[in-house]
Amino acid sequence: MKANYLLPNKYKLFGWILFIIGLIGGIYLVGTDYESDVLNLKVFALYYDGTFFTENSGFFKIIENSIVDELVSIAIIIGGLVVGFSREKVEDEFIYKLRKDSLVWAIIANYIILLLTIIFVYNFTFFDVLVFNMFTPLLFFIIRFNFLKLKSNSNEE
Amino acid sequence: MKNKIKVQRAMHDMTQADLAEKIGVSRQTINAMEKNKYVPSTVLSIKIAKLFKVPVEDLFILEDDD
Repeated sequence: MKANYLLPNKYKLFGWILFIIGLIGGIYLVGTDYESDVLNLKVFALYYDGTFFTENSGFFKIIENSIVDELVSIAIIIGGLVVGFSREKVEDEFIYKLRKDSLVWAIIANYIILLLTIIFVYNFTFFDVLVFNMFTPLLFFIIRFNFLKLKSNSNEE
Repeated sequence: MKNKIKVQRAMHDMTQADLAEKIGVSRQTINAMEKNKYVPSTVLSIKIAKLFKVPVEDLFILEDDD
């Protein structure tokens, strides 16, 4: 079974490191209510709606923004993609099936949880749900895939 | 689907790892097949049958619910 969208196995470690750094950074950001003044840089915004205090909205603006949350998001997404989509040491059809099944499971689990939170979570708390939901499909996929792999590994002959 | 991989493996005195290496899959794959948790592809079935020098039908047996 040749799945040509997979990265070589050697990227896996790099992916894990990036993913875990991203997750730790993400938890820290959520813990501090996304208030960060570190790394304030001028950035290019495709569309900027201003904040509650400025009227400076419009397309193609150069604005000031702390890029910590951007870096954390990029680390989680790229790290997660690399972890989930790099080859196993022995990549065969069974592993391919586990990966596919985990993806299906992750999407279904993610949207069931999202549905529940849509029904039961309101106002600004729902903003947190939206933030988490950017990463949960990847996270569920990685957890499920590695869980299935460990399970099939554990029962020896 | 049932299979006789484990029997054949015992007859040829092979471990799961030996068989896995010979046909180029992971040991988990062999384990999952022996536990009837995974139905191999046609390619893999024929590879295993060829290795044990038995017809595919003797190695893999359909069950009523297949």
